[in-house]
Amino acid sequence: MTELIKLENVAIGYEQDPFVDFINLSIEKNQFWGVLGPNGSGKTTLLKTILNLISPVSGTVFFHNELVFGYVPQNEKFDPIFPISVCEMVSMGRYSRVKPGRRLSNIDNEIVMRSMDSAGISHLKDRTFSSLSGGEKQRTLLARAIAGEPNILVLDEPTASVDIKGEAQIMELVRNVQTESKLAVLMVSHFLKTVSEFSDHLILIDKDSNTFLSGTKIEVLQKESLDKFFGLNLNLD
Amino acid sequence: MEILSQFINSYFLWRDPMIVGAVTGAICGFLGVYIVLRRIIFVSATLTQISSFGVALSFYLEGIGLTIFSSLIGPFALSLFLTIIAAAFYALKRDFSRISREGVIAFGFLLASGGVIILGDRITKGAHDISTILFGSAVVVDPIDVYLIPGVAILAFVIHLIYYKDFIFVSFDTESAKLFKYPLRRLNALLLITVALVVAVSTRALGALPVFALLALPALSSLYLTEKLKLLFVFSIIIGILSAVLGYFFSFILSIPTGASITVCASIIFILSAGWRQIRFSI
Repeated sequence: MTELIKLENVAIGYEQDPFVDFINLSIEKNQFWGVLGPNGSGKTTLLKTILNLISPVSGTVFFHNELVFGYVPQNEKFDPIFPISVCEMVSMGRYSRVKPGRRLSNIDNEIVMRSMDSAGISHLKDRTFSSLSGGEKQRTLLARAIAGEPNILVLDEPTASVDIKGEAQIMELVRNVQTESKLAVLMVSHFLKTVSEFSDHLILIDKDSNTFLSGTKIEVLQKESLDKFFGLNLNLD
Repeated sequence: MEILSQFINSYFLWRDPMIVGAVTGAICGFLGVYIVLRRIIFVSATLTQISSFGVALSFYLEGIGLTIFSSLIGPFALSLFLTIIAAAFYALKRDFSRISREGVIAFGFLLASGGVIILGDRITKGAHDISTILFGSAVVVDPIDVYLIPGVAILAFVIHLIYYKDFIFVSFDTESAKLFKYPLRRLNALLLITVALVVAVSTRALGALPVFALLALPALSSLYLTEKLKLLFVFSIIIGILSAVLGYFFSFILSIPTGASITVCASIIFILSAGWRQIRFSI
């Protein structure tokens, strides 16, 4: 079975107050999903429901037995008072496979080193995470997600705090990781161009109009749906 | 020189308090790193006050003739019980409706502080002076503390050695810890219970003020000295020991209150550390 996550008639929201309902979605191995929507549209709530960090208000979320998440959160969420080094940060990605009370084995440490290599951050391993630039932070978080050897990579605005060059590097890295490891990717972004360039499947979500649309890129990227979601008169040529 | 030789010759007087102080400084310095990094300094202030309240309550019950009660649960047991209940409450209870977490922490601190002063006023036994409970005793410690405090410190340290990666993980990145199905509530409770345990035993011996100072200031000073996590723990332990030892030394030779002396020494180290960082970054 290649189906990793399945949402059936799910309503998302907080404290029994649904703001988008009747969500049906199936994420399979090797798919690249982009999540688009205006600010405050419920993208992050959807992401957290899929990550099982919050429960759906109603409906059911099914997870594959061997599902391991690799999660790249927004980098601003980390408290800079913690003097966590890049190496320590990437090691935390491995904790998905190391139980509480256990230490990382030599194999775990090798995987951590390999993840830093593939993200091109080995030279930063002793630097403090909080001292890095936006792009370096995102690459560190990506290395951390890869270190857990996930079968789905979930990224929350991975290019939000980086310049154009940094954005291209991060997206290239995500694409390489997906191709090499045949991962499913679910990426939230504000940027229609980035998402449409890299994804093969799209989700459009807007809580104000209680609308949820998902499908292949061609199915979703229709002028009508984009005009409706973004309130713009877009030219798709 | 004369003062120093007088101090050394009085070895038998300060040996036990110095051991207790140094061990308390070390373990409070270590645990203080979590307290400072998690930005819960006032939880530790509240726990020390609640611990003092437990000690005062026990002496009060003894004073009004409830000797059966006090022999069953001595000052340490009552203080430990109340401090652990408070620590578990702050670790497990996250949602306080419209009130912020800081508000509830302040409530606990104020209630315990008021309670200590009221009970202190009612304690009949002259030996249990309320200022001793709050600000630390002079140079005398209960002989049992010489064994009890190192024993509790070793226990807390071993627990932290086993769960080091987990305590750091749940403190730094709650969301990923939840995603990886780490037992967040249990780990947070265990972390704060080790703090409560250390606070309960050391408050009785040293007083609330120096224990609070040793939990907060060494870790804060260390943040000025290093940007490496493991070194942060090492520096904080060293500064904790140094503050306690120097505090006892100056208390002895200048005849000043020990608790206040430890607190001032830790504060001076904090100022020096801040100065060191300024110099380092201005060069």
